[in-house]
Amino acid sequence: MKSKVATLHSYPPYIHDWRTSARAAWICSLTLMPIVAWSSIIYGHFAMAVWVVALATALISEAIASGLLRRWTLGDGSAVLTGLLVAAAMPPGVPLYIPAISVAFSILIVKTAFGGLGANWMNPALGGIAFAYANWPVAMREYLLPRLVSGVDGVSASTPLIFAKGLTGGLDLRVMDALRGSSYPLSNIDSTITGFMNDYVFSRLGARLPDGYIDLAIGLKPGTLGESALLALLAGSVVLLGLRLIKPLIPVAMLAVFTILVRIFGTGLPGESFLGGDVLFALSSGGVVFVAFYMASDPVSSPVGRLNSLVYGAAIGALCFIFRRWGAYSEGVAYAVLVMNVLTPFIEKSTLRMARRRARAV
Amino acid sequence: MPKNAVVMLKDTRDAVEPLPVVYVGQEVRESQLLAKSAGRGSSNVHSPIPGIVRRIESTMTPGGFESRAILVSLEGAFSVLGKRPERYLWKSLNKADISHIVQEKGIVRISTGEPLAEIIAERASKPGFVLVVSALEMDPYRRTEEELLAIRPEDVVDGCAIAARMTQPSRIILAVDEHISAATIERLQNVIAASELDISVQPFIRKFPQDMARQIAEALDIADAGSLFVLEPSTLIALHEAVVANKPHIEQYVYVGGGAIKHPAILKARIGAPIGDLIEECGGFSGNPETIVIGGPFRGRAAANLDVSVTRTTRAVLALTAEETKLAPERGCVRCGDCIAVCPEGLDPHFIFKLLRAGRKSDAVAAGLERCSLCGACAYACRSRIPLVLKFDAACRNEEFR
Repeated sequence: MKSKVATLHSYPPYIHDWRTSARAAWICSLTLMPIVAWSSIIYGHFAMAVWVVALATALISEAIASGLLRRWTLGDGSAVLTGLLVAAAMPPGVPLYIPAISVAFSILIVKTAFGGLGANWMNPALGGIAFAYANWPVAMREYLLPRLVSGVDGVSASTPLIFAKGLTGGLDLRVMDALRGSSYPLSNIDSTITGFMNDYVFSRLGARLPDGYIDLAIGLKPGTLGESALLALLAGSVVLLGLRLIKPLIPVAMLAVFTILVRIFGTGLPGESFLGGDVLFALSSGGVVFVAFYMASDPVSSPVGRLNSLVYGAAIGALCFIFRRWGAYSEGVAYAVLVMNVLTPFIEKSTLRMARRRARAV
Repeated sequence: MPKNAVVMLKDTRDAVEPLPVVYVGQEVRESQLLAKSAGRGSSNVHSPIPGIVRRIESTMTPGGFESRAILVSLEGAFSVLGKRPERYLWKSLNKADISHIVQEKGIVRISTGEPLAEIIAERASKPGFVLVVSALEMDPYRRTEEELLAIRPEDVVDGCAIAARMTQPSRIILAVDEHISAATIERLQNVIAASELDISVQPFIRKFPQDMARQIAEALDIADAGSLFVLEPSTLIALHEAVVANKPHIEQYVYVGGGAIKHPAILKARIGAPIGDLIEECGGFSGNPETIVIGGPFRGRAAANLDVSVTRTTRAVLALTAEETKLAPERGCVRCGDCIAVCPEGLDPHFIFKLLRAGRKSDAVAAGLERCSLCGACAYACRSRIPLVLKFDAACRNEEFR
């Protein structure tokens, strides 16, 4: 029996894990699809146009980058993922040249200029988002009220977070009640569900859920596209963690530190006291959860190793808290991760030096 | 029976090559001495089949190093096969006699290819070690050693008794996988009880590579992996057959399997038989084999063709399909950290690779390059399919690093 086997494989190991960097990027992109769908439902064409433009620019930019680097890289999925992530940080109805230019900047400048996937020290999507905020600060902060709340398309409004920051007086009211007191819009869905839960569940426990949290969780509030589906986001993160596609310690450390600091010191909103911060509001408004699972845990720009991941995640959590407590805008979370991207080599070097010192001491 | 047997003289890269004692054209009997041990690492080589010596020439072994090989083509009748084996009562033999037999019959440790007589002598001179009879495997395919425990427990335990007599270990541990069948364990316990040996059966958690001495030592809470003397059931059976039945090392248990083999099985193959014969005996291929591997999927080597012959260290022949190999294009490191999580030596493969790529070999050595056992776990897990093990191996052997 003569061999007709072409040996493609010339070195061990001859079997591999199913995870590849390309597959990870594609699965990550897939987990964002429910958010794309939901935001398109609640914002209509204002959302859809942003997603489409971002994706198209991502594909074109990656094709150009492939030409420049002389290797075909569209298959690795990172361009599509970057496009989706940049779009997720955009408010619906934003002028369409903004996602287009930001995505092109992400892929062509932040990623390709440093040598392509794996060599970029900064998360490309975050680079693009920071670029957009720096360039078009006004347009990036004009939000729309979902048509499921207002009944009509294209009503502009400010996010609950920005609105609450502007509230003065009534400091004994909890933040949600203060928002209601200032007649901040509330959807019928929220009042129905919250009313039901209060009547049948919380009243028996002697508790009361203020109106408005359901709106925050299901995205019926003005905000960026990525914030519009907290539940879908959590489902996606379960998929990513379950398939072990992201480093779990980073989002866990980040959210834990952020939550603890918010609980202790509050975020400067009405109704908060020392050791009485509104954690639920802090987590369900703004992009903390989105950034934790989709940005901070990006493998390329985060440090490698268990201790490093913990330090990195915890530092992002702390920075998020600082930006949220004293900063002016909700995009602080993006800058928190960017700062730590820059410090990643420093963290890795410090722990290495520590390990060396310990090894020498033994 | 193979029509031709190609018998490699060297079983390890660094061994001294045994000296042929036959000439081309000479008629040889089955089990006749073909080449004589000539120094460290080399062992006697016997003819697996009766026939005529056709060629003695240099060739590439399946292990990837040069060695001379003796080609014997089948002619005449088998003298050992089919005969009832002789049975000597080894307990009346003294250590020198047994040692002589082991050396004479060219028994090698199947996992490494080192002459068993040599490693036994080395152990006997340094008492205070633990003898580990390891039925643990390095990959999820082969289960030969476990199967041998199930079908030949008496011979394994008897081989163990011989090894124990020769080396006087302080403890004997039989290492088995956690999923071994309860019936096998029960039978083994009975055989052990009858043998008057003090062997403790120890199940191990299945995490590949499971069979490495350092992993076994760590699981047993023994600080120094060097104080373990690891032998496999298959080696013990070869030892047993040499001492009790006067049989040289001319046969080998080979697991033939993988997704592209029709009926995977454990075969008792003659040394020197082409692997194509073994595959045919298992019903041939089903589907399209992408790679044929000799040894194991982690540390084995791809077979260049189906004429590669079985050696004394060939423990498995695997025909792997594309679904099993999961090849993907190599990409840049995405720093996912999976390689660190799986490294059984606790190294940081991603960092060592980075240092090597930057040409900083001394730093790579400081980061533990030389502790790398080339087990393949990191390259298995690598999402960007970087050939980490290949590069580490090349760097360790001081080859030009790209």
